[in-house]
Amino acid sequence: MHDEDANAGPRLRIAVFAGMAELAGCRQIDLPWRGGTVAELRRGLADAHPAVASLLARSAVAVGGRYAGDDDPVAAGADVAVIPPVSGG
Amino acid sequence: MASEPAGSEAVRLGREPIDPAQLLAAVADPAAGGNVLFVGTARGITAGVVTNRLTYEAHEPLALAALARLRLRALDRFGLVACAVWHRLGTVAPGEASVAVAASAPHRREAFAAAEWLMECIKAEVPIWKCEEGEDGRREWLHPADPTPRAEAEP
Repeated sequence: MHDEDANAGPRLRIAVFAGMAELAGCRQIDLPWRGGTVAELRRGLADAHPAVASLLARSAVAVGGRYAGDDDPVAAGADVAVIPPVSGG
Repeated sequence: MASEPAGSEAVRLGREPIDPAQLLAAVADPAAGGNVLFVGTARGITAGVVTNRLTYEAHEPLALAALARLRLRALDRFGLVACAVWHRLGTVAPGEASVAVAASAPHRREAFAAAEWLMECIKAEVPIWKCEEGEDGRREWLHPADPTPRAEAEP
């Protein structure tokens, strides 16, 4: 789907859950990624998968098992998860 | 604090059915005088609309850590002598327990307050999601406008 990047460098594997997995059609989204901030990651993800953009805007991002702010760094190969609004109980 | 139940008994996130008696046993403590058990069950009818089943999923490492952290905060905040927090994953039929908390304190008031506080926090903070499946087979993951998941915000 991103042929221009298919054989290029580092990528990021992003775990998605629940309604976001349904919107994305998969539980893990791969993005080409050379490092950047959470804000840049949000933009990259929304551009690559417009279907998730609206829910993504209401979601938290966890990097390395901790919730991260928009200015926090995301290294290539980091463990990243998108956490949409919760509904347990 | 007196005899702690084993870690796996105090906090549990899994697909096996929740046995309330087992949960209550996990918070038995000689220093306890009030033992509150709350069991949340999958609701089969909501305002006349039938739900065939619920499916739960979680970011399991984050959810387990959040449940464990909430339990520790409840122990401290309400002066509990024992506390257990369990949440179900996977498919849950109407009437089955999806979540249960048990709180034991020297007196009942703290135990009631702790159970209520824990449920509020679980529903607001823990990365667990439910999918409702209706009578017509329609499925919907619930992502309420409020709450948004929140970090380790201490009160």
